[in-house]
Amino acid sequence: MMRRAYAANVLGAVLLALLFGCSAISTAPSVPPKHPEDLAAGRVNCLECHENVSTGALKPYGTFRHSRVFINSHGTYTRQGQSLCSSCHAPAFCQTCHAGKEELKPNVKMGDRPDRMAPHRGDYLVAHRIDGRLDPGSCFRCHGNKNDVKCKQCHK
Amino acid sequence: MLLPAIVSIALSLPLLFPGTSPAADVTLSSKTYGLYYQRELPGGEKDRFAPLYEYLSADAANLGGKPLSFHFYGWGRLDLAEESGSGRTSGEIGSLYMEYLHPQGNAQAKLGRFFLTEGVAMDTIDGAFAKATTPVGLGVSLYGGVPVEYSILSGAERADSLYGGRVFFVKAGFAELGASYLKENGSPARLDRELYGGDLWVRVATGVELTGQASYNRTAREMASERYAVRIVPGATVDISAGYEAYEYAGLFRSALNPAFLTTVDNNDKVQSIFAIVDWEFTPGWTVEVAAKHLRHDKADPGDANRGEIGLRHTYGAKKDVAGLSAAFVAADRDENEYREYRAFATYSPDKLRLTLDAIAQQYKRDPIPGIGKKNAYQVVATAGYQLLAALQLSGNLTYTQSPIFEKDYAGLVRLSYDLGTGTGGKK
Repeated sequence: MMRRAYAANVLGAVLLALLFGCSAISTAPSVPPKHPEDLAAGRVNCLECHENVSTGALKPYGTFRHSRVFINSHGTYTRQGQSLCSSCHAPAFCQTCHAGKEELKPNVKMGDRPDRMAPHRGDYLVAHRIDGRLDPGSCFRCHGNKNDVKCKQCHK
Repeated sequence: MLLPAIVSIALSLPLLFPGTSPAADVTLSSKTYGLYYQRELPGGEKDRFAPLYEYLSADAANLGGKPLSFHFYGWGRLDLAEESGSGRTSGEIGSLYMEYLHPQGNAQAKLGRFFLTEGVAMDTIDGAFAKATTPVGLGVSLYGGVPVEYSILSGAERADSLYGGRVFFVKAGFAELGASYLKENGSPARLDRELYGGDLWVRVATGVELTGQASYNRTAREMASERYAVRIVPGATVDISAGYEAYEYAGLFRSALNPAFLTTVDNNDKVQSIFAIVDWEFTPGWTVEVAAKHLRHDKADPGDANRGEIGLRHTYGAKKDVAGLSAAFVAADRDENEYREYRAFATYSPDKLRLTLDAIAQQYKRDPIPGIGKKNAYQVVATAGYQLLAALQLSGNLTYTQSPIFEKDYAGLVRLSYDLGTGTGGKK
């Protein structure tokens, strides 16, 4: 039994080394760590400059047009890889909302950016009672295992 | 303690890499927020709050001329008046990691504290991550460490370990399929989390793609969540998506630390929803957005609901400025779940000045706070900012809120933003 587990581990390690080795000798360019040109203000449309398929995400640039559709479903794409996102967005951008222990609501920090989609605008203390009843899964993503400091005032 | 630590780390960043070549690309961003607000308590006593927040972000790429980068993000709070949170000071290091990005083949590795989204994982961990894609499209990612979680349950601040990975196949421009696994070993005060997941992206025709993701909670022996959608992007101005989502409370909330998901909801419930979103720039600078969602619950309480929203956005001033109008409604089986929401905002940025106005109003069908007898809420936020130097901006918010909770609520905020970057290129 022990020998079989040992053999499986060795085989797994060899397979991983092979995969990483093959990746390292690939000739396909990686996505750059930083977007080489200054980014335009507002919601980005990659199609203004790019065509075809992006390096990094290996999907058409049209997929990443920052429309309302993309913003609502950006999690679907980031779960398949973050390297293209990281080319334009620093960790601070993601963690403005996806925080571990945050006290300021995103729309308070970005009060001068009403054009940005920020959760919990207005007096959300009241509205969250309804949104939380109807669709608690949307709350869970950010407040289920973290970022619940504000919750404790009522939910004990 | 954390605030000085954050400031020290960011300011000493260049010293951390004595071998860094002059070509290193450093971006430093500091945002200081000074808030002031007052709360009147029953009996007439007034509490005044003046928390001071510092948010720092530092990113350095091309370290030593190598494809190596350093990332830091964190914040700290110091109360200048009454205690505004848990203690007079607080803070968090959100990210602190080194990253290696191989110039070819998209192989990458991270070490430190980072926010990870990979397959079923959407967690911040103290640990390591590595990902590689072979030239034939077969790839693998692996991660492991200790999850960074904060809970109000004493003794359950974080689990002991979190690890997992994803195997995937990608055909550039056509498809990506992945299967993932995550295991989180809980502390004595909480349950383990073990998830199996699948994800899919397929371009079935030019401008038409299908996406899907599903996760199964092995600990609860229930499906946790599913999301399937079709997206149509016929050009650079139209984007349409429609789909189906579902989650089971027992599967999704099983390992929650927040008691709101353990005690205030019926864990036998299940939500299924269908949704559609349209984003159409019908003429340059003018975009209409329409969204609709039907939510169906297994349980009569909270019951079913429909949410609809329509909005119009106008971009002007070389895309620096935006104005928008939107209206949304929730129609539900139960009156206490119904409300309408209206919003209008505009920005104006002549030269070094920036002015913004944002107003939002909500109308509830039934008293949202029983016994208060007030069904409306509204908030107005006005801001003004001035670019003092190329990298330095001073701005301020004034907020007025009236709601079933706050009779009259005034809040002020002063914001000092400092953004410095070397090299060329953009980062947001």
